[in-house]
Amino acid sequence: MNNADILVGTNLFKRFDNLEVVKNVSLRIKKGEFVSLVGKSGCGKTTLLSLLSGLEQPTGGKVVLNDKEITSASEEELALFRRAHIGFIFQSFNLIPTLSAWENVALPLFPIKMASDQRHKRAVELLEQMEMGHRIEHLPAALSGGEKQRVAIARALANHPEIVFADEPTGNLDSATGAAIMIILNELHKKQGMTMLMVTHAEELAETADRVIRMKDGEVIA
Amino acid sequence: MNLHYVIKELYHRRRRTIVSVLGLSIGVALFLILNALSLAYREAACAPLTEIGADITVQRAGNVPEELAGAVFPCSALTIRREEVNKIEKIPGIRGVGQAVLIWVFDPQRAWIVLGVERDNPIGPAILRSFVTEGRFLDDGKSEALIERGYARQFGIKLGDNVSVAGRQFPVVGLVDASRAPKIAVANLYLPLKEAQDIAASSKPLQSVSPFAPGDVNLLFLKVDQQQITAAAAAMKSILGEKATIATPESFLKLLGSLFALSDKFTMAASLIAMLIAILIAFKTMAGNISERTREIGVLKAVGWTHRNVTMQLLTESIIQCFAAGILGILIAVIVTFGLSFMTVNIPIPWEMSPTPHFLPGGGEQLYKTLRLPVHIPLKLAVFALLLSVLIGGLTGALLSSHISKIKPSEVLRHE
Repeated sequence: MNNADILVGTNLFKRFDNLEVVKNVSLRIKKGEFVSLVGKSGCGKTTLLSLLSGLEQPTGGKVVLNDKEITSASEEELALFRRAHIGFIFQSFNLIPTLSAWENVALPLFPIKMASDQRHKRAVELLEQMEMGHRIEHLPAALSGGEKQRVAIARALANHPEIVFADEPTGNLDSATGAAIMIILNELHKKQGMTMLMVTHAEELAETADRVIRMKDGEVIA
Repeated sequence: MNLHYVIKELYHRRRRTIVSVLGLSIGVALFLILNALSLAYREAACAPLTEIGADITVQRAGNVPEELAGAVFPCSALTIRREEVNKIEKIPGIRGVGQAVLIWVFDPQRAWIVLGVERDNPIGPAILRSFVTEGRFLDDGKSEALIERGYARQFGIKLGDNVSVAGRQFPVVGLVDASRAPKIAVANLYLPLKEAQDIAASSKPLQSVSPFAPGDVNLLFLKVDQQQITAAAAAMKSILGEKATIATPESFLKLLGSLFALSDKFTMAASLIAMLIAILIAFKTMAGNISERTREIGVLKAVGWTHRNVTMQLLTESIIQCFAAGILGILIAVIVTFGLSFMTVNIPIPWEMSPTPHFLPGGGEQLYKTLRLPVHIPLKLAVFALLLSVLIGGLTGALLSSHISKIKPSEVLRHE
């Protein structure tokens, strides 16, 4: 593994029953790089993201993330690893409906021994960074789609991750709101040097990344 | 576990929270109320005996007197000999014995129900000393009498008068209010035990039916260890024979006939069924709540919550709900039992324990001891119900959360 590589996937396979969804994929992502994974629906890009982020175990191959081979880790170790090193942004936001915006942002910090005012301070800082300072006490039901995704991005950053995985982050948003979200993600990458792997089916969004990896039928084609 | 998150979950999903808390609290309340009622009926059944300072009363039935003249024994209370009393005193568990002699005296002018009492024995009819409304109680070693107030009024007998009973003269030193006195062992005339024994021993009609020596009696009042009442009653039966009438709290309970009074097993079964139904309601509601949150749990795990973190979160939610249900159940039970405590219960006094001859006015009427149902929730029972409720919460939470928290985040987040 090159010193600059934060994520290396080698000969990855994933099979669900008789269906091989990911076929012999290898890739490397450098620290501070913004990579997009593009392909049509069902080509296996979300599954590949799950394998690379430790949400799913591959049928074959290995993943090394931040110098740790996560393919042999237990569920408990993976959870702790995700808590320490990874941020997630999902297509459908996945906010907890009973918690306010700031509490959703602080969710990864709840299991950590941390003073509650520190937790609150960190969540509010991130929400202000996302221009959501005026909505910190609102429940997800009271937020628009774009606002929900801003809260989700803030949550992904709460634990100071070394890499953020974004799965179709604009998939549930209209084009204008989606464009605003992409600006935020690009700024995070450019201003803060955040490493990102974004899954998308939209070519125009994929092109905003440093590098584009294309997938078809479970294989990397370019 | 984050208490802030727990409270928010319970608050925002309040419909489900209310259903599970209410469901279980009704079960807890039913459990408490049924057990409290059962205890209350048991306590009430003891009242006729406890008010005379005893746990058991003993009599022996026999033949009806051939002629109602002079001093005779009621057929329900024939002689208990001195040596039989001595044997009874030695039965394990007997803590004290009170003795009395009940006689019907048919004098030419009037009929008397005479009760000879042990002046200084707190077990038995001497408890009447607190019902003397005029004059004083019997003095030690003196040949004197107390008269029941209503009887004295009916026959114009006053304090200080001399009354003639079975050919003997007794000065009246006090009046007793029998309406407030215990229903067992009431009489018109109360004498020192020795005087009543002498009347009985010297009565030919009485001796012809039931031989009686000066040291004998015909009523026994016994204090017995609670755990040994049944065994002691059986031992007395074997000493006195089949005609012995032994009144225990259990025999009064049978007379009450209430479902709550009939059996501990019924109460236990009914309250456990109520509790079980409540547990199922609470379990179903909590299970529904948790299965609705599968996606949420997937998110928690994706952002770094461990199996233990998730389990503790769900377990705490469950325990808090069940603790609240326990408290609410206790409150409901306290309110309901307060309402029930205004109910009165009539405890029938068996005819053989009624001192009045059935052929005299009022003698054939069924006697009752009437009292307010002494229903209350014992602290120990309330604490037990609360602990049981928390235990249910713990087990339900552990069962549901251990299953759901094993879900892999990818399984719920895959199908976006």
